[in-house]
Amino acid sequence: MIRMLTVASASLLLLAACQQQPATAPDKAVPVATETTAVAGPGDMAPAFTLVDAEGVQRSLADFKGKTVVLEWTNEGCPFVKKHYSGAMQALQREATADGVIWLTIISSAPGTQGFVEGEEAKAWKAKHRAAFTHLLLDPTGETGKRYDAKTTPDMRIIDPEGRLIYVGGIDDRPTNKVEDLEGANNFVRTALADAKAGRPVQTAFAQPYGCAIKYAETVAS
Amino acid sequence: MRLLVALLVWLTFAASASATPSALDQALKAGAAPVAAGPQRTERIEAELVPMSAWATPGSTAIVAVRQKIKPGWHTYWRNQGDSGGPTTLSWSLPDDVVPGDILWPLPERQRLQSLMNYGYSDVVFLPVPLRVPASVQPGQILTLRVTAHFYVCSDEMCVPEDLDLALSLPVRDGAAPLDPRHGQAIQAVVASAPRPAGIEARAAFADGRLTLTAVGGPLADAPPKWAYFFPFEGGIIDHAAAQAGQRGPQGLTLTLAPGRGLTANGLKPPLAGVLSTDLGAWEISAEQGAALAGASGEGPIGDGEAAQKLAPGATTIAAFLQAALFALLGGLILNLMPCVFPILAMKAAALSRSAHEPAEARRDGLAFLAGVLATFLVLAGALLALRAGGQALGWGFQLQSPAVVAALALLMLAVALNLSGVFQVGAGLQGAGHGPLARLPGAAGAFFTGVLAVVVAAPCTAPFMAFALGAALLMPWPMALAVFLMLGLGLALPYVLISLSPRLLSRLPRPGPWMETLRNLLAFPMYGAALWLAWVYGRQTADALALLFGAGLMLALTLWLYGRSQTAPGKGRLAVVAAALFLVVALGLGVLAARAAPASSEPSASSAHLASQPWSAQAVQAALAEGRPVLVNFTADWCVTCKINEGAALSSSRTAEAMQAANAVYLVGDWTRRDDAITAELQRHGRSGVPLYLIYAPGQAEPRILPQLLTEGAVVQALKDAAR
Repeated sequence: MIRMLTVASASLLLLAACQQQPATAPDKAVPVATETTAVAGPGDMAPAFTLVDAEGVQRSLADFKGKTVVLEWTNEGCPFVKKHYSGAMQALQREATADGVIWLTIISSAPGTQGFVEGEEAKAWKAKHRAAFTHLLLDPTGETGKRYDAKTTPDMRIIDPEGRLIYVGGIDDRPTNKVEDLEGANNFVRTALADAKAGRPVQTAFAQPYGCAIKYAETVAS
Repeated sequence: MRLLVALLVWLTFAASASATPSALDQALKAGAAPVAAGPQRTERIEAELVPMSAWATPGSTAIVAVRQKIKPGWHTYWRNQGDSGGPTTLSWSLPDDVVPGDILWPLPERQRLQSLMNYGYSDVVFLPVPLRVPASVQPGQILTLRVTAHFYVCSDEMCVPEDLDLALSLPVRDGAAPLDPRHGQAIQAVVASAPRPAGIEARAAFADGRLTLTAVGGPLADAPPKWAYFFPFEGGIIDHAAAQAGQRGPQGLTLTLAPGRGLTANGLKPPLAGVLSTDLGAWEISAEQGAALAGASGEGPIGDGEAAQKLAPGATTIAAFLQAALFALLGGLILNLMPCVFPILAMKAAALSRSAHEPAEARRDGLAFLAGVLATFLVLAGALLALRAGGQALGWGFQLQSPAVVAALALLMLAVALNLSGVFQVGAGLQGAGHGPLARLPGAAGAFFTGVLAVVVAAPCTAPFMAFALGAALLMPWPMALAVFLMLGLGLALPYVLISLSPRLLSRLPRPGPWMETLRNLLAFPMYGAALWLAWVYGRQTADALALLFGAGLMLALTLWLYGRSQTAPGKGRLAVVAAALFLVVALGLGVLAARAAPASSEPSASSAHLASQPWSAQAVQAALAEGRPVLVNFTADWCVTCKINEGAALSSSRTAEAMQAANAVYLVGDWTRRDDAITAELQRHGRSGVPLYLIYAPGQAEPRILPQLLTEGAVVQALKDAAR
């Protein structure tokens, strides 16, 4: 009898172990890790960074305090980037830098992935794409890209002279790779720069970025 | 069914402006079978325009589909592509008056790519499109349908836009058309199962950095889903890559979503529309802004089904399986040295000392113990795999996340301890003479039961090697996974079994005598310790029910003492038996109350007295790294003795504290004592299914370093030094 009870209680115990205990408190949701302040969005201070540029010079965000800074994530192999580099992105870079804006083009592709460049190839990048940015910054570890939560190429940020982010997200409202879609698209970076220049608050401070996934360094399984 | 589908298609019909009419093709061959222009190919994708029905009927809706066959490793995308890529677009050129509708998007897969999440398709997918065929077309004609399909085909490395011109000749005839023999059934199935509105009422509220979505009614009121996941139609509303925490209610469910950048920047712009996917089906919902609906929570948490949507990874090689099995065996062996097994060692030792000089009995007990261990592993692992397949985010040791189980185990440990102290005997009279009145649990059943207890209490801690094996097992097909779990059990039981099977080893033990009794009485104290420890865990898990458990324990002890008295003095125990029964009823009542106590609200517990810690969240890690500070993450649980020992030693030493200071590191603690799906998901990301897990993130390194599970002060200090460099 006792033996049976023993076995029965052991099995009951196991059965109980497989039952989920229902939560009786109705408002007890499992916390989702969400901190709106965690990743810098419009209005937040731009995270600091120091990266080596194509010429091998260290560039820090702090070097450009007091100026408007544009960050542009790029990958020359990405069809969405190619669309904008058919002339539109270069034109925007020229306009902005002529206005005294610092334009930093960032490559966060890891070594061995699409878009990664180094050495002579990095030096030649600007001429090859007839680009007009201020500096081409190399982020092979992906640290800076992740700090800014940059997801795609292109993905854009504008930082005001006080170091605050005033624009975060996609370059325009036509999420395609087709050159003909540049016509009539609303380029959020251009309008945000115009707003900032005129001293107006930025109309559209965020737009969903579109493009190719940034080729960050692979997860290293330890 | 067909009629219903046609009707639904008609309802969801929306004329798109991209149609550019061309001349109507005249054909003389009446009733000819459809002539498809055939599949078009690029290196990465093959696409074909295929009909659902054998012909089109004048004045009806004809359904055609773009069939994609995608190269392995590549994907195309849903209407909201998630974090990268782009949706498939179709531009039609159709005969006069044939008007195309919108794509009926099938439910997408969730495609994780490092820190990004995409929504899309792989392998073979049909995108059905309803076409309105005017009444003016004549039977006998042939409609030539042309479409330029624009696909974004992406792998983990690159994205390639592909344009393919597809064509289909569809004959016109009167009468209901049969399904097209090639793909008709497949398309019909996709049309029937494509998510569509189902009378679910939904509300969305955005406050305190959380987007709360409640959905009730419709199919949700029929049966509670096991998991749920929301795919928004628009990007930027939610953080696509974040876990979605769900709650079940009598009428529906609540999802707590991490907001996307667009939401935090622009606020909630209702309606929030998208697809609610569950294990019971997927439906289109549109949530107006408003307070949470009643009946959408209160029946416990549900997962987001990410585990469930993982296709059976048939790619598990035999080599990987053998490696996992070997590691499991090693892990099980090492588990015997881990602190968490300590309470059980007492029971094993007591049993061993008993049967040391009766080889046959010892052998039987050893094998029974092994059977108990293996059976329990089978049950627990089976339950774990089944629940995970149902989309619950659970990890190894989940049984100790339930306060009811912890309470029951605490009482059981108390009973075992009282037995070892000699308060009562189990199975007295079954044993022959010469064993003294204080027999242990009778033979094989007792040994089996010891095995069961060993696994239930001890296995939640993971040992080195074991962590890897379990992480791998959870991704394998279930028979392999169970085999790995069994190897773990074998490893755990092996030392004991080997000793029981080896008469030479057994004969080295001292002869039986009074010392055995003393030993057993002594060994009761680790069991009392185990009961206290479990009671402490229970107290941490529940809001305020510890007194109930103590009461139940007291009553149980009283009952067992009375029972023991009736054993030693038979014949004069009638009153005692009545009293014992009474006390037992009280004990059980209190025990049930204790088991049903409400879980405590999840407050971060300061698990380490010496290091200031903050609760873990993925965002907290990122925020600290953004400040350029290293991060030490400790995933722990109160019921994990190994975790506690590490925290008491390596993690709370003054040298560690100094190293933390010197490195300006942030200490984050993920407390898994109670169920927490976000932590379960994070453990899984690192290939683990249990605690402890220690991670050190260095600024500038995307991926953390995993520290050993038996921490030494030196290892922590060194890792912090490396991270701060």
